[in-house]
Amino acid sequence: MQRMIGKRAVSSLISLVGLVVLVFFLSRLTGDPAALYLPIDASEEMRQNFREIHGLNDPLLVQFGRYIGDLAVLDFGESIRKARPAIEVVLEGFAWTLQLALITMTLVTLAAVVLGSLAAFRVGSLFDRLASMLSLIGASAPDFWIAIVAIVVFSVGLGWVPTSGTGTVWHWILPIAVLFIRPFGLIVQVVRGAMLTALGSAYVKTARAKGVRNRPIIFVHTLRNAMLPVITVIGDQAAALLNGAVVVETIFGFPGVGKLMIDSILQRDFNVILAAIMVTALAIFVMNLLIDIAYALLDPRIRT
Amino acid sequence: MTPRSLITGLLLASAAAVPGLAQEGRDVTIVLGEEVDLVEPCMATRSNIGRIVLQNISETLTELDVRGDGGVMPRLAESWEQVDDNTWRFNLRQGVAFSDGSAFDAEDVKHSFERAQSPEITCEISRYYEGIEITPTVVDAHTIDFRTEPAQPILPLMLSLLTIVPSETPMEFTREPIGTGPYALAEWNPGQNIRLERRDDYWGEQPEVTGANYLFRTDEAVRAAMVQAGEADIAPSISAIEATDPAMDKPYPNSETTYLRIDHSVAPLDDIRVRQALNLAVDREAFIGTILAEGTEIATAIVPPTTIGWNSEITPPPYDLERARALLEEAKADGVPVDSEILLVGRTGNFPGATELYEALQAMLSEAGFNIRLQMVEVAEHEQYYSKPYVDDRGPILVGAQHDNSRGDPVFSMFFKYDSEGRQSGIADARADELIAAATAATGDEREQLWSELFAYLHDEVVADVLLFHMVGFARVGPEVEFEPTIATNSQLQLAEIGLK
Repeated sequence: MQRMIGKRAVSSLISLVGLVVLVFFLSRLTGDPAALYLPIDASEEMRQNFREIHGLNDPLLVQFGRYIGDLAVLDFGESIRKARPAIEVVLEGFAWTLQLALITMTLVTLAAVVLGSLAAFRVGSLFDRLASMLSLIGASAPDFWIAIVAIVVFSVGLGWVPTSGTGTVWHWILPIAVLFIRPFGLIVQVVRGAMLTALGSAYVKTARAKGVRNRPIIFVHTLRNAMLPVITVIGDQAAALLNGAVVVETIFGFPGVGKLMIDSILQRDFNVILAAIMVTALAIFVMNLLIDIAYALLDPRIRT
Repeated sequence: MTPRSLITGLLLASAAAVPGLAQEGRDVTIVLGEEVDLVEPCMATRSNIGRIVLQNISETLTELDVRGDGGVMPRLAESWEQVDDNTWRFNLRQGVAFSDGSAFDAEDVKHSFERAQSPEITCEISRYYEGIEITPTVVDAHTIDFRTEPAQPILPLMLSLLTIVPSETPMEFTREPIGTGPYALAEWNPGQNIRLERRDDYWGEQPEVTGANYLFRTDEAVRAAMVQAGEADIAPSISAIEATDPAMDKPYPNSETTYLRIDHSVAPLDDIRVRQALNLAVDREAFIGTILAEGTEIATAIVPPTTIGWNSEITPPPYDLERARALLEEAKADGVPVDSEILLVGRTGNFPGATELYEALQAMLSEAGFNIRLQMVEVAEHEQYYSKPYVDDRGPILVGAQHDNSRGDPVFSMFFKYDSEGRQSGIADARADELIAAATAATGDEREQLWSELFAYLHDEVVADVLLFHMVGFARVGPEVEFEPTIATNSQLQLAEIGLK
């Protein structure tokens, strides 16, 4: 197990370094931040001055060397737009996104596993068809549309929850509900499929023949084996949320890292883009590791 | 208990637990589309910052009266006079204190100006003083002279943009702005909200609103919904599509003018007949009430009609497809390459309905016989087409753009857009250069006259560009407050001008 984690860490580190190099140079290709930060009618002198202050006049390799040097002492640089340390800005946003992702994925996992298992157990029943249909709709509806409709219906129409923003528990309901729908739809389908396969296997037949009741068959015998593909999908979906639930964060005015990344890209705030990518990449690495560990715990065959 | 009443009850209970609400007077909530990255007074000419800072936290020496015909009004300066051609003297208000308690005097004005101009920070307001040598000299604690080279007849108006900070403010962007205004920054949670609180020691009349909470939502539908749901009092900018409730939604001229900038240096656009044909081929009326809001005005100049020197005698070109085609034929007969592909550049999301507007323009121009290729680009790329230095060996280009001038004088636009040296000028015309220089240096009636002449010259004789529309914006104002948006609402929102019901 330790060897596995070690191997994983090394390969992730290599990808991380590659990512930093790639993003550093790619973001520099997108244009001059002076053109965006300064007013369009700023003089050439103002632009030169701006580039000078932010070290944008140096050769790209010098800029890169400086960046790596600073990174080695965990200095991610200043945000040009906000005049604050980039990492501070990013961690603030990431904390919000992490909470959003954790709550959403916990609810999704619980609901999808229960519903998917039940649907698989009663294949072809009304419940199964209903669950399949709803989950398909959920997996395919665009979330910006769901979000706007949800605001119009539940906030403006019924007045149950606030339209957007943060502050109270109630502010979390709509964003979580909207984020919930797509991964839920997807995971229900996967759980159902995996359960169907498992339920058709020899050990279930054996258990049935021995007179084991339905509930233990589903939740003890089958689920554990069916969980492997499910965990992969859960991991994928959680990674997508961590990378920033951009649309939902933007619409609901949620100060998460996804919205931050989009804003920084549009404003060419390089240091924030890089810091955000580092932080989310690290988070995804940690999550992948957790999934591997979960795999190993569930399936002894993987532990070696 | 129904779920609804349960939730309502809980919400009420949680609201009651929040202290500081429901006292005498009250706070208002304002929802804006664009988050601020800085609350820096010397950046207040950038509209997203100005809406919060300008005249709320930081004040200026003078102020343009956008609600009446008062012209340039006193604010931190009580009066001013022109000592000689190159010198203006400002007499400052006494007994004014900054929000940190320090007293306001001439040294603060001097420092504010020098700070805004300093190469150590890139303050946006400095661009308005570009190309002018300005030297502030403190005469006494409440008198300051500004010496300018060349002479600046409208220096008092130009100083309506200079926000005053205490002389101790460092030469770097501050995150704790100190000003003399009726409000002070109380709370700033980046990404979430900014709160201003009314000051008790403000020198002027106490405004009714005790404080303001600014929220930021990118989506216009959400901003409109927030006012409708009672979560916000004012959404200063929503699109015409969202403006569905006449009781709450107030249209206002937002001081933006939409036009197609023509690059006169490349054939066939160097031919005046081709430029006239472009103008005749656009059915401007057809846009109003369809793609653009009712109330949009057809433009005959790059600045809105409330600007001095406005020339009401200029008439917009009629929609005349036959005439446009005839002009093109005529030009073609003289060897002008009218069949060349012309690139029309538009900016994605520049204003609501931008893409639709440019697509319609492309269709109209094509119908007249032009060969138009439309390209929608994002802001940074748009800038490469719009501002000098232009790329070499380019083809004929029309740049669709918007220009904002709510400052009452064309000087903030004309050099820039029409002088041979102007950064976004598509023309190089000696007569236009002369008129711009003369008007910039002139005062009073002569100034108005010269601007008027320039507008007519550009529109009728040079056919400088395809002027399109003076745009209309909508503010959604909730039932609990009174607020009338003005031409300046795009760039400032004075809390003192909000009334409570």
